[in-house]
Amino acid sequence: MEKVAGALVLVPWLLALLVFISPWHRVRQFFTFLSLPILTFLTYKVSVGNLPLLVETPNWLNGLVTLYDFLLLFYFLYQGLKFKDFLVSVLSLFQLFLLVWVLKVLPHKEGAELLVDRLTVFMYWIVATVGTLIAIYATKYMEQEDLSRENRFVSVLLWFLGVMNFAVSVNNLEWFFALFETTTLASYVLIRFRWDEISVKNALRALWMNQIGGVAILLAILFAVKYYGVYRFTEILSMKGHLASMVPLSFLAISALVKGAQLPFHRWLLGAMVAPTPVSAILHSATMVKIAPYLILRLSPVIKGTLLAKLLIITTGFVFVSAGLLALTQSNFKKILAYSTISLLGLMMLTGSMGSPTAVLASLLLILFHAVVKALLFMEAGVMEKLFKAKYIEDIKRLVERAPVTVLFISIGFMSMTIVPYGIFVAKWLTIEEASNFLSHGAYISSIIFVAIGGVILSLLYFKVIGVMTRKREEFVRFRLERLPFVYLFSTVPLVLFTVFGSLFIARLSAELINPVVAQVVDSPAPVKAAGLTLVTGVSALYGWQIIGAFLLLLIVPIFAYFVHFSGTDRVFPYTCGERVDLTLGTYNFFCVSSIEPFVETASVALFILTLVLGGGLV
Amino acid sequence: MTLALVLTLLSPVIGGFVYGFERILRARMQGRVGPPLLQPFYDFFKLLEKRSLIVHSFHAFMGIMYLLGTWFSLYVLLSGGDILVAIFFHLLSLAFLVVGGFSVRSPYSIIGSMRELLHMVAYEPVFVLAAAGLYLVTGTFQVSEILHSDQLPILYVPLVFLSLLLTLPSVLKKSPFDLSEAHQEIIGGPEIEYSGKYYEAVYTAKWIEYVYAFFFVFLFAGGKWWLGALLVLFSFFLVNLIDNVTARFNFRQMVAFHWYILIPLTVINLMLLALWRN
Repeated sequence: MEKVAGALVLVPWLLALLVFISPWHRVRQFFTFLSLPILTFLTYKVSVGNLPLLVETPNWLNGLVTLYDFLLLFYFLYQGLKFKDFLVSVLSLFQLFLLVWVLKVLPHKEGAELLVDRLTVFMYWIVATVGTLIAIYATKYMEQEDLSRENRFVSVLLWFLGVMNFAVSVNNLEWFFALFETTTLASYVLIRFRWDEISVKNALRALWMNQIGGVAILLAILFAVKYYGVYRFTEILSMKGHLASMVPLSFLAISALVKGAQLPFHRWLLGAMVAPTPVSAILHSATMVKIAPYLILRLSPVIKGTLLAKLLIITTGFVFVSAGLLALTQSNFKKILAYSTISLLGLMMLTGSMGSPTAVLASLLLILFHAVVKALLFMEAGVMEKLFKAKYIEDIKRLVERAPVTVLFISIGFMSMTIVPYGIFVAKWLTIEEASNFLSHGAYISSIIFVAIGGVILSLLYFKVIGVMTRKREEFVRFRLERLPFVYLFSTVPLVLFTVFGSLFIARLSAELINPVVAQVVDSPAPVKAAGLTLVTGVSALYGWQIIGAFLLLLIVPIFAYFVHFSGTDRVFPYTCGERVDLTLGTYNFFCVSSIEPFVETASVALFILTLVLGGGLV
Repeated sequence: MTLALVLTLLSPVIGGFVYGFERILRARMQGRVGPPLLQPFYDFFKLLEKRSLIVHSFHAFMGIMYLLGTWFSLYVLLSGGDILVAIFFHLLSLAFLVVGGFSVRSPYSIIGSMRELLHMVAYEPVFVLAAAGLYLVTGTFQVSEILHSDQLPILYVPLVFLSLLLTLPSVLKKSPFDLSEAHQEIIGGPEIEYSGKYYEAVYTAKWIEYVYAFFFVFLFAGGKWWLGALLVLFSFFLVNLIDNVTARFNFRQMVAFHWYILIPLTVINLMLLALWRN
């Protein structure tokens, strides 16, 4: 078992090495394809084993990690000095100072450094399926962009998957710091991949922002050692109920917020769009930002019901709404997706900090479906960019006439984030019903308001984009599906199928596959049952016929849209009051919303400070 | 269950009568005699005979989908299932109208669809909070159990009821919140490009929406169905009165009214109730 878990970290690294050194494109593609079955199989092996699994490691490994920490921080410092970036250099120096301090005070106690439980395996599953599909997609994408640097790019992606697997299975906070900063390094390398001025600038921004998260973790270790004398997740979790101080937890929560690109630290994730599209796909879906909800879920049993949790609910709920609002003003397709990721990450952390079994179930559903859907949408964004030269809302006008399949996939992706009966809707529904139980407290009231308002804003956003894409001039004169490269179809179709079938069998999925995870995160499973397709919760039910009915309604739309023409009916041009109007129409740009941006940023800074100071009890 | 099915199947007829009655009521408020009660049905049959002109099949088809979606969401509501699910199903049916409206290159249709979405942004949070309010009083999200509850929700959550009343115009596209249709400026919005039997579908869907919206009012009487009927009558009268005496808002005013006035009203009520319960 330990060996399998270790292999999950090492195999991607090995494949990355093989991809890096192999001189032929086909061979590299072969190794990348190999990652999907291997990682899936290994994850399956772990998930059927006895969990949770605590792994003790030899002592020399501790030394190695510490050495690696120093090397990493010196590399960051070097980058800061090389590009003359003040913040990067200062933050690396500060981290070096804190790291030395941590090493000085860290007590050496025997204990497991690795922890593989159901939550970890849940993240493994996402990495093993969504992550590898993105890597496979990247081989084709780079073939179209720059074949000479393909090996570099794909091997970094594969290596990143191994790092992510490692990061979610550590127990020691110092190790977690090392892996946290390694993901920062990976994102830094990937964002500056094109090496033009703006890429380097955005990469450096990502670097310093994420280093703030690193600083927060180091401070958390210092305070944890000072107040509790412990530095492992399991030890902190076992102190549930009699924690002397919330300071370490609030610092960990801050690092999660930074990693999860919550306002005001959202710019690094927006900057990531200058890199090739697979980078955005992997940062937004399987790796990197998912550390944030993962960390909150890890801590949720100890922070549940505390002031910290309530402030986290308000902060992330605020981000859920305001990131959605800011997304309305954007015209770049990838930026719209990035803002909606930030927004949904807020919802994941909101549900995670609520900490009741049902809320945690909602959070896990959100993580899973969001990973799948965002990977799909970013891949489609790459397809649009490469094959149809469309990057902005202006370019995707009437795309359905040229690319019906791409439009269908994007529409499914967008709809799955808002409307019945898709998985993300189910999570939202569970959240609202759960929050209704605690309406005597302001935080829960605000959570229900935030979820309701944020949800409709995201619907507005997605339908705005779908509306631009599906606009048509007239009937299809000669309808044909666009020809997509095999690799693109291979990596996107499974995600579409999962979105649809995962939502159809949402009851089985949540009651049988995800509820065991919930049971291990918060010690008791959520009160949900599956009766056929019907999802029965404690207070209510989502009936199977409702799910099927909604799917039937949704599925006949594309069939009729593409293949059925009403005959015997006259065709006319749109009515324009008899005026000669140029019919190149855009859409609303919601310029009026952009005026609230300064207010939103100020408010989010204030909420951040409140979370840290009041939530951590620093005063 | 059978009652729900029968009611759902009959809902276009019920909605048609409601609409006919509404036209008479509005006319009387304006000092006119008004059309006969069956006028909507006369219109219905006349539309069937008219020649259909369509822009393209997808657009015409989405009109039919809007009818089916609304009908199905009404059944979800009446069948006694979860009230939140019913609210979100309404969004699904709205999606068909909106995507249809967006799919033609008509400025009126596109502006109308966008405003339709803004309507949703305004009223949906109020509905969700109203559902939470009903849950707080009756202890269930199931419509069938709310309808047999001993509690009288309107006594406990009067402010929630008030905000639901004030949001009804925006669901039913009545003045002052009739932005998405706005006959004087965008000539019916998303409906503009439908004609003949395809307009028929959209027209009927609107009648079903009447039943859908007023059923929420009905729920606020809990198990006392006679009181529910009275509430529906009262709210029907009030909505038409407001429709007659107000002028149209712009979309910012509409969203601001819902977010900054109705939602706080609801929240104050919910918090007070939760505090009092503890």
